[in-house]
Amino acid sequence: MNETTGAPRSDEELLDAVAKLWERLDPPPDDLADGVLARLAAQDLEYELLTLVESDEALAGVRSTTMLRAPDETGTWSLEYLGPGFRVQLRISRRGRQARLDGWVSPPQPMTVMLSSVLRKGGVLEAQVSDSGRFEFPVAPAGACRMTFVTESGGRPQATPPFWI
Amino acid sequence: MSEVPRASAGTNPASPWDAAAAAFTRWRDGDDEGLNDLVRLLSPVLWQVVRATGLDRERAEDVVQTTWISLVDHADSITSPQGISAWLCTSARREAWRAGRLANRERPVEDELLAHGLPDSESPEHQVLLNDEAQLVRECLDRLPERCQKLLRIVAAGPRPNYTDVAKTLGMPVGSIGPTRGRCLDKLRQELTLAGGLP
Repeated sequence: MNETTGAPRSDEELLDAVAKLWERLDPPPDDLADGVLARLAAQDLEYELLTLVESDEALAGVRSTTMLRAPDETGTWSLEYLGPGFRVQLRISRRGRQARLDGWVSPPQPMTVMLSSVLRKGGVLEAQVSDSGRFEFPVAPAGACRMTFVTESGGRPQATPPFWI
Repeated sequence: MSEVPRASAGTNPASPWDAAAAAFTRWRDGDDEGLNDLVRLLSPVLWQVVRATGLDRERAEDVVQTTWISLVDHADSITSPQGISAWLCTSARREAWRAGRLANRERPVEDELLAHGLPDSESPEHQVLLNDEAQLVRECLDRLPERCQKLLRIVAAGPRPNYTDVAKTLGMPVGSIGPTRGRCLDKLRQELTLAGGLP
């Protein structure tokens, strides 16, 4: 770095040179990062993620499902998720600070549905899917939420990615 | 190859530590790609941090993976995105000591003495072709006392580690790290000058 100026190299420059040398002498395995990601994926999958297939925004303007809504927004919007062997439709109605959430599972099957806030840990609401596939949360939390479905046959729970209420 | 650009933290907007902070922020905001980017950016750095403690390649890979898992488990407790690189490197270093202690228990004493921090036959370093400057740095480093070689490798890896971590790895008093680091760097500078590679 200082070949042209003739000044002695600083400690930082020397350490950078040492670090660079070791990067050359002792490179990590080519698949180091892939191995990490695979291990994280195996670790993280306490639940399987549902896929968002549709979102209908009945609110004014174009909005993203991951966008923070104004605290006093009013409107209704719906989301649809696809899981292995079932579909879930959600309808979220919000009036000021009150929100309610209605859902339908098709085909109908007995499941426990849990609604939890992503940021505020602890508060988990529970509902059962009825014979007709309906479930409801008359009072839903606001903010980023996630819904988890547990079937009676056991197996890995299915969860939605976080969505905003 | 791990071609993560190196720069002193804070002086260069393109430093990997800034990029890591940005990726971490994206991940915490809900973008899973942020975590992927962070893993790809910093895994090679963590590799160097872990290998600098003298751990063998296989255990080093495991320690790097464990470090990322503990990040996912403890992401909530990291208050500043700017601290993410330091947090990861410190965790990796601690996990490496733990793994190293376990490994030493499994290994005959003379192996242990020989193995710590020395180049091992499984690493590809003997076949690496270096450019002139790297070759020069390597030859000069080789002429330093072994303790200096180890210390310089440790302090060079990742964001510059704190002296407590270095002291623990080398079993030296914390107060002696600064002066020892300075002496080792001076020796290296001297060797480089003698070798004619530097003005």
